[in-house]
Amino acid sequence: MVQLFTPYQLFCLALLAITAPFLSFILSLIFKKIAGALGILSIGISFISSLILFLGIWKKQTLHFAFHWIELGNVKIDVGILLNDLSVIMLLLISFIALLVHIYSVEYMRKDGLKYRYFAYLSLFCFAMLSVVIADNLFLLYAFWELVGFSSYLLIGFWFSKEKAVQANKKAFIMNRIGDVGFLIGLMVMLTQFHTLDLSALFGSENLISSSFVKNGIWVTPFNTLPSYWLTITGFCFFAGAMAKSAQFPLHTWLPDAMEGPTAVSSLIHAATMVAAGVFLLLRIAPLFNEVVLTTMVCIGLFTAFMAATIALTQKDIKKVLAFSTISQLGFMVVAVGVQDQAAAIFHLVTHAFFKCLLFLAAGIVIHELHHLKEKHQLDFDEQDLNNMGGLRKQLPITALVFLLAAMALSGLPFTSGYLSKDAILVSIFEWADLKGGVYWIFPLFISITSWLTTFYIFRVVFKVFFGEFRLPQLLSKSDLKIHEPSSWMRVPVVVLGVFCFGFFFAYNPFSLDSAWIYQGFIQQVHSEGFYHILVPLYINVLSLALIFLTYQAYANKKIIFNLEHTWFYQLSLNQWYFNDFYDVFLMKIVLFKASVFNWFDHNIIDGFIHFLTDLVIWLSKISDWLDKHAIDGLVNGAAALVKRIGIWLRGMQSGKLQHYFIWMLLLFLSFMLFKIIV
Amino acid sequence: MIPLQHFLFISAILFCLGLFAVITRKNAIQILMGIELMINASILNLVAFSRFDKVDNTGQMFALFIIVLAAAAVAVALVIIMNLYKRVKSIDPNQSDTLRG
Amino acid sequence: MGILSVLIFLPLVFGILILVLPKTWNYSYKYLAVAVSAIQLIIATWLYFHFKTGSGYAGVNELAQYQWVEKFSWIRLEVGDFGLLQVDYLLGVDGFSIGLIWLSALVMLIAALASWEIKANLKGYFALFLLLDTAIIGVFCSLDLFLFYIFYELMLLPLYFLIGMWGGVRREYAAIKFFLYTLFGSIFMLLVIAGLYLSVTDPQTGNHTFNLVYAMNPANYSVGSIFSSAAHLQIFGFSARAIGFIIVFIAFAIKVPVFPFHTWLPDAHVEAPTPISIILAGILLKVGAYGIIRIAYGIFPDVASSLSWWMGLLGVISIIYGAMIALAQTDLKRLIAYSSVSHMGFVLLGLASLTSEGINGAMMQLISHGFLSAMLFFIVGVIYTRVHDRDIYNFRGLAYQMPHFTGFVMIAFFASLGLPGFSAFIAEAFSLIGAFSSQSLNGLLPRWMAMVAAVGILLGAGYFLWTLQRMFFGNLRLKLEDWKAQLNDISTREWIALTPLALLTLILGIMPFLVFDALASSVNQFLMLFK
Repeated sequence: MVQLFTPYQLFCLALLAITAPFLSFILSLIFKKIAGALGILSIGISFISSLILFLGIWKKQTLHFAFHWIELGNVKIDVGILLNDLSVIMLLLISFIALLVHIYSVEYMRKDGLKYRYFAYLSLFCFAMLSVVIADNLFLLYAFWELVGFSSYLLIGFWFSKEKAVQANKKAFIMNRIGDVGFLIGLMVMLTQFHTLDLSALFGSENLISSSFVKNGIWVTPFNTLPSYWLTITGFCFFAGAMAKSAQFPLHTWLPDAMEGPTAVSSLIHAATMVAAGVFLLLRIAPLFNEVVLTTMVCIGLFTAFMAATIALTQKDIKKVLAFSTISQLGFMVVAVGVQDQAAAIFHLVTHAFFKCLLFLAAGIVIHELHHLKEKHQLDFDEQDLNNMGGLRKQLPITALVFLLAAMALSGLPFTSGYLSKDAILVSIFEWADLKGGVYWIFPLFISITSWLTTFYIFRVVFKVFFGEFRLPQLLSKSDLKIHEPSSWMRVPVVVLGVFCFGFFFAYNPFSLDSAWIYQGFIQQVHSEGFYHILVPLYINVLSLALIFLTYQAYANKKIIFNLEHTWFYQLSLNQWYFNDFYDVFLMKIVLFKASVFNWFDHNIIDGFIHFLTDLVIWLSKISDWLDKHAIDGLVNGAAALVKRIGIWLRGMQSGKLQHYFIWMLLLFLSFMLFKIIV
Repeated sequence: MIPLQHFLFISAILFCLGLFAVITRKNAIQILMGIELMINASILNLVAFSRFDKVDNTGQMFALFIIVLAAAAVAVALVIIMNLYKRVKSIDPNQSDTLRG
Repeated sequence: MGILSVLIFLPLVFGILILVLPKTWNYSYKYLAVAVSAIQLIIATWLYFHFKTGSGYAGVNELAQYQWVEKFSWIRLEVGDFGLLQVDYLLGVDGFSIGLIWLSALVMLIAALASWEIKANLKGYFALFLLLDTAIIGVFCSLDLFLFYIFYELMLLPLYFLIGMWGGVRREYAAIKFFLYTLFGSIFMLLVIAGLYLSVTDPQTGNHTFNLVYAMNPANYSVGSIFSSAAHLQIFGFSARAIGFIIVFIAFAIKVPVFPFHTWLPDAHVEAPTPISIILAGILLKVGAYGIIRIAYGIFPDVASSLSWWMGLLGVISIIYGAMIALAQTDLKRLIAYSSVSHMGFVLLGLASLTSEGINGAMMQLISHGFLSAMLFFIVGVIYTRVHDRDIYNFRGLAYQMPHFTGFVMIAFFASLGLPGFSAFIAEAFSLIGAFSSQSLNGLLPRWMAMVAAVGILLGAGYFLWTLQRMFFGNLRLKLEDWKAQLNDISTREWIALTPLALLTLILGIMPFLVFDALASSVNQFLMLFK
């Protein structure tokens, strides 16, 4: 195929793709009226550039452009752009979904007075996120990584007068910071060991990682040596960064809270793109991880997936269910990275981005319309509560349809994209466990359970929202409550996303991973479709279908009624495994308590010591003052007084009478004689 | 020959008498006389001791000196007494205490 | 009269002019002060852009490599057997001082702009203000220990009055505490300076000298003198050089401030008027760190590297401890004061690593914290001048009331907590990288120090975000009803002061080489002292 663009032109396009949103960010703050248009225009430009880049790079070449930035001692840091298969597919994914979300937001945020800020922040996010995927070194990646967190902070707290929202964005930022500290420490180790953070130098073809090795408990690189446990520590540090971003246990509690932001934001940032950045990071630096870290990854990913799925079963808030679903699905991706099936991780990342974004946007439509209803009739109810919905398929037919499609994709039913990607992960785990044997079979078991739980909770939402009766009129005893499909600004993006839930876009044969081009693009070792490739999808899906029927009976037809509300596992799930309470009570209280202890220490001990010193000096001075007055000055005054007293006494002799003088003379003479005689 | 002790005794008695007069008398002239007695006692001593210096007779020399000086001193003292009398109309030394400290 | 002298004495001249001007011109003083600092900033900027870099202009221990050197004989006193007492008026600039000079000029301008809030006794205030300006620039320029000490002490006097007369409720306590604390350190330093004078000889004239640059070269120490490294003299059983280093270090550590010498700082900051807080945090703390680099580390490199572990530990403790205490504060100004302790800990940590990354990071942190703290204190001043209250719990939802102001607050807070793209991130990252790589490069600092210090960044996010959430977000709720009328958004003057600071932190965050380029050769030369 003929190269349409020279590498230099491609580089300029990549630069254009990230600068367009940045310019839009600045211009939106200045030209407030046209912020929405600017946002769409800029992300459109990014999307087109990404598309061209994708065509030019995918499976053809890797491009790396770098400019000199800082050089200090051993550290040389460049800024640059690295374009490889992973970058371009992420670029395309992010810019495409961001474009749809921008369009959706025009309608969603139409009534908001600070709309321009919303679009500015969204542009800032796009800039940061696109930069993360094309950054050519870890330092730059870290910088944009934090910037992504910052823009997420801004967007979660967009409605800054909502107390919950500002609590949530603080929590999100601080939890991400915990991971970032790990990331930063990882950077320090890498810099010490390799004297560079350049991704292509570290992980490219002739990479430094492969030239390093562990021998006799020492981790040797061309530049330096460290004890081998540092390799594990480094892996954990980077993983901690990814854990925070991708909301993995134990740093997952920020993501459900982050749902306080506008729903469009939740769909773009907290479902499709930003949270996937953690997985993206793991993929970028995958060769670094050793066996310990990888196994930990599988454990954490699986635990997160399972835990979040159980929590999602009972949540009442539609966005909370989707948030926990996101956490759970991210757990799947982390597991895939852990079992070293990176292709499956990327594949699932992409398909998940589409269907989860769609779920959020569709939920956003429901919330949006209910909100309108609330304002129109001046009612008071929670527009996100599942119990206030029901039967909406009649009023929102398109939304219901696409939501159903996305739910099917999430459950991994045949013909959907989820079928391909999720089953790829499941198969990998089965193979991995097969290889390891023994106790490792617990992983496939749990991931299968999680998979069924996924089906259950998502269809619970589907049936509770779109099937059965509309419960709101009953609850509020008002009959004329009607909602309708929104304008096409919101409808078009969901329909487009709905189309992408079908497996055909990702594989011409929607039953075979072999034809999945994204998967094949990243597959490292060719492995034949074995026995698990047929068995696993089959048994997962058969049970899934049964579960769907069960949920239908339970939530749409009300034939089955679960009466579990007082059981411990229901409470555990409803209260999100009590992690928030645990963190509040233990971590926050301890840190704040420590802070107050330190404050007390500072006030009373250190400053107290200073005050003690001053008091001591004052006391000393008082004592010396007393001494001065009474002892030293007393001596001087005493001498004077003594002389005076002697004088007064001697004056008595001086009677002025001649004969007295004679007597004195005589006495003196006699006493002198006496003295002479005695001595 | 009269032994030396006798002279010394007499001189001591004279001295004591003089001293007694000096201390006890209320008349300046009598005090002056007491002083004279004491001077004479000392002269007597000097003359008595001069026996041991046969070559130069230093004792007698001193005695003569003292006699002359005493005469002069008496003259001065009498003048003082007269002036005192003029001033305070009394020659009782206890009456004037202008030397008092 | 060289350009450095002009830079130093320009404010003094204008300070005297203000004293001479009639009282009726009362309201022109502030414009005069702003004009002087603006001229100073222009000169400093000119210097910065004409500052030559490269190995021939490294400075540090080579007098010939300093730039804009001015040398006049100042005091020549015949002292019997001892030869000639030689004090020079010696000024010069190298990579370490040029950035700080520019920073000082900038911060003084911001402080002058913040001086609008001063209402009483303007004549005295601005005269002292300009005197302080002279002393500060003098400290950074002087290369003679005697001259340095004079300027160093000269800073105290105006500050004492500026805090003690124009300060808050407990101003006298704070002023005296500040004064005595600093004086305590510097008095002992004077002893060391005297000892150095007795040890160092001028290689050209053979006289004893106060020359700071000559004191960095072991060859200039006379044989058997007290601080001669060859003589190994002892005082009370300790090495004389070690004692010298520790005394000088404590003198400057009080200024920085390093745990446990920091308690003057919150009091002084809280009581000082806004412009003085800006100067205190923006420049005075940097004088301390500059002194540690130039005098403590420069003159006693052998002791410094052997005590590195302790220096690093003090740095780490300052970082964590300052951040923890900041978490517990409810007074906004106190919070920022303690955050300064935390941020200055990174300087000490980077310095203690004795690696190129660490020292560059430390210097970057000095400059970055210089204008960030100026910005933070200016922000406190904005609120305080309006309602005379600083308690975080008395405000809520200011973002509605003052949107532009909140924008600046967010920039300042996020820059301070080390968000990439802002200068503090570069500074802190490089300090940490230096500290971490130290064990592999020179074995001075253990790796855990860098890892623990990284937690300080996390705590920083904690207190800044909490303040942001508590004061600026949520629904508008103020302690008193009439505050609402008083809390207007920022004025043009405040825009003028805050905008350059916000831009600078961004520019240095994206283009850190603006600072690093001027530093690089000096840092390399500096590191040679420790080889």
